[in-house]
Amino acid sequence: MPSAVGGISLEQVQHNLQQCLARKDAAGAQAQLQKAKLILLQQNSLVPSEGVPVGQLKTARSVLEVGALLAIRRRDPDSFVRYYSQLQPFYEFSGLQSSPSPNKSQVTGLYLLLLLSQGDYAGFHTLLESLIVSEGINGGKSVEDDIYIKYPVDLERSLMEGSYDQVWRKTNGRDVPGEEFALFSEILVHTIRSEIASCAARSYPSLSIASAKNLLFLDSEGAVSEFAQEQGWSLEEGRIHFPGLPEEKKGQEGDQKEVISHMVQYAKDLESIV
Amino acid sequence: MSGDKGKRNSVSRPNDHKRKDSKSKSQKDTQKPKDKVGDEEMTVVVPPSKGDAGKNEDVAMNGTDEAKLKDPPVDPKAKAIADIKANLTLLEKAVSLFDPRFTLRVLRNIPSVRKQLSADLLARVIIETYTTPTPTSFALLKALGDEEGFPRADADAWVKKKDSAQSASKKSDTTPKEILAEVDVYFSILIQVYFYDTKNIESGAEFSEGLIGYLKPLNKRTLDSLAARAYFYYSLFLEETDPKPPSPNAAVVSIRKTLLDALRTATLRKDQDTQAAVITLLLRNYLSTSRITQADLLISHTQFPDSAANNQVARYLYYLGRIRAIQLNYSEAHDHLIGATRKAPTSYKASGFYQASTKLLIVVELLMGDIPDRAIFRQPSLEKILSPYLQLVQAVSSGDVNAFQNLTQKYSSVFRADSTYTLILRLRQNVIKTGIRMMSLSYARISLRDMCLRLGLESEESAEYIVAKAIRDGVIEATLDHEHGYMRSKDVGDVYSSNEPFDAYSSRIRACLALHDESVKAMRFPMNQHRLELKKAQEARERERELAKEIVDGEIDEEDGPGGDFEGI
Repeated sequence: MPSAVGGISLEQVQHNLQQCLARKDAAGAQAQLQKAKLILLQQNSLVPSEGVPVGQLKTARSVLEVGALLAIRRRDPDSFVRYYSQLQPFYEFSGLQSSPSPNKSQVTGLYLLLLLSQGDYAGFHTLLESLIVSEGINGGKSVEDDIYIKYPVDLERSLMEGSYDQVWRKTNGRDVPGEEFALFSEILVHTIRSEIASCAARSYPSLSIASAKNLLFLDSEGAVSEFAQEQGWSLEEGRIHFPGLPEEKKGQEGDQKEVISHMVQYAKDLESIV
Repeated sequence: MSGDKGKRNSVSRPNDHKRKDSKSKSQKDTQKPKDKVGDEEMTVVVPPSKGDAGKNEDVAMNGTDEAKLKDPPVDPKAKAIADIKANLTLLEKAVSLFDPRFTLRVLRNIPSVRKQLSADLLARVIIETYTTPTPTSFALLKALGDEEGFPRADADAWVKKKDSAQSASKKSDTTPKEILAEVDVYFSILIQVYFYDTKNIESGAEFSEGLIGYLKPLNKRTLDSLAARAYFYYSLFLEETDPKPPSPNAAVVSIRKTLLDALRTATLRKDQDTQAAVITLLLRNYLSTSRITQADLLISHTQFPDSAANNQVARYLYYLGRIRAIQLNYSEAHDHLIGATRKAPTSYKASGFYQASTKLLIVVELLMGDIPDRAIFRQPSLEKILSPYLQLVQAVSSGDVNAFQNLTQKYSSVFRADSTYTLILRLRQNVIKTGIRMMSLSYARISLRDMCLRLGLESEESAEYIVAKAIRDGVIEATLDHEHGYMRSKDVGDVYSSNEPFDAYSSRIRACLALHDESVKAMRFPMNQHRLELKKAQEARERERELAKEIVDGEIDEEDGPGGDFEGI
């Protein structure tokens, strides 16, 4: 089967791709990637099937993984999701089970992190479920051991519990397994900042600007004032005052109407029985 | 009796006692007395008579003198053969009267016959039933051919009859008796059951595939419940073949297409039994390899038939509950699981399903923040199975994070086998929340440092953030003081003056009303009963008229009597 297009072979393209990656040449890598995908298409190996030799499938898989990583670096979540979906049949293909890809956990970890930053907890847990179940049968390797997967799982746990300082520390610390993971940190910090703001508004009667700076992980008092104004808090003599909760008074009136409507409903139902 | 077609109401009786993880041999067979079959009119559903379980009692209870005194010891094998033959007449009745209840009765009979099944027995029954060999009967015998005890001599003699019969039929005028497709399928199901019981998985799988191929072109409504059962065993065999799920290469993956095709055909033909059965089988298939999104898509694209059997509805609700729980939709999952637990069969032998759905229900309740009722754990069928879960509940309700971690590690294999492990891992935050709530209730003011120590949290700042989040989520009513580092709880007002009792009552009322509506809809009335009622009503009215006349006539005499009493007052 000819693996050449206009004289360039797939192996050559892959070689060029690796070189561009090493040189951090994003544009060059992109161009090589396009060529590689074209060749793969001609060889009918973009989707794994029985007829294609395993070696080619492995090459196809690694090309797609490179594409996924590049998409993350470009901060293009849509194309990353596309690459990820294209990679799924490769990961499940029975012929390739004996030689798993080394980058699989990295790609999966990045996808988990993407789901987390988009706030899609249902999708996150669905994927995690399949990972934990497959870890159960493999016996040896656990989710805890794989740093690429452990990172988003721990982050999610801390987010759910509410220990945002852990999140802050993890995203800034040395635990981040790869530079692509670090790209998500900004989004995550933004998420937790808004979470902390809403929590703080309910729990503190008032807060000094210095403490707010620490709580919100902001850099300067000016940033604090800006943030407070965005949230609609009032600033007075160096303290932030949170607006009170408006819903409590309205509750009572609404309750009466609710009671009345319920009673009418019960009377109707009883009538139909009797 | 074509009028029956319109009167087939929803069958909400347990029509089979098969559970997916326990071979149930229900002793309480609801076998109606056989003499009722002969009636031409549609009969009223008679409550099951215990006397029909006599056959089981003979086999199971060895020491009963009563049975032995009354009749000579009945040969169980002969009884089984007689039972099977009786079922054949039932099947014929089902076809001629177009009433599904007879087929359901036949299917319910399977557990009692199951114990006696053997290659020898089955072969003999087949040979005796099919007077002239047909291709299907030949295939049935061939499938059994490799089993031990197969009466090879008889089979060969019978096969030879085929050749002689063909020449004989050309001469005689009497046509041989037509064997219904239902009978073929019934025998095939018996063979499937036999293979499953003897753990003969490969032959079972092979045979089932052939059976499914045979069933596809047949479009008879009377075959519906039998076909559903055939698919069930087919799926069961494939689940047992290696590689087993949840490996991605599992054999069950290959039958997904077949099941989807079957679903499509069943929906087109309005075959509700097969539809319900295949949907649940597909969901089970997807869940075993953790394809949650695909299962979710299946649910959104198909409609579970309303008039499906109770047991299928229970299974469907269970799988639905599991999917919703994984997707973090706990309240919906809770509703589904409550429904599944309520519809679960109550017989002791079939308690496997009840146990599985109760386990999941407990975990979902914990995830929602409620503590499950202690009474659940005391039920006799559940006590031992649920002991790890009881400890789990105790750890969560005491807010002890370390105990919780230890428990999950200690029982991780148990939880994994129950497929509740992933959900239990999420419980850590619930433990912390419960701990915070307990502290807020017991202390008017507590420093964050103390909280962090008691709850086993990593640092004071974490404690502060966690408490703030808990306040926002409505777990506790308190305020934080950042400068001095403590939490002050607010007084909880009187619960009765708030809306809570009303909400609790209204949800219960709603549940009762829904139950009432469902029961009314599920009521089945026997066919001509209303005519009897009309007659009775007429008679009653006539009697009333006579009575009224008598009173009018008699009043003139009795006027002084009761009237006199009144004047005295």
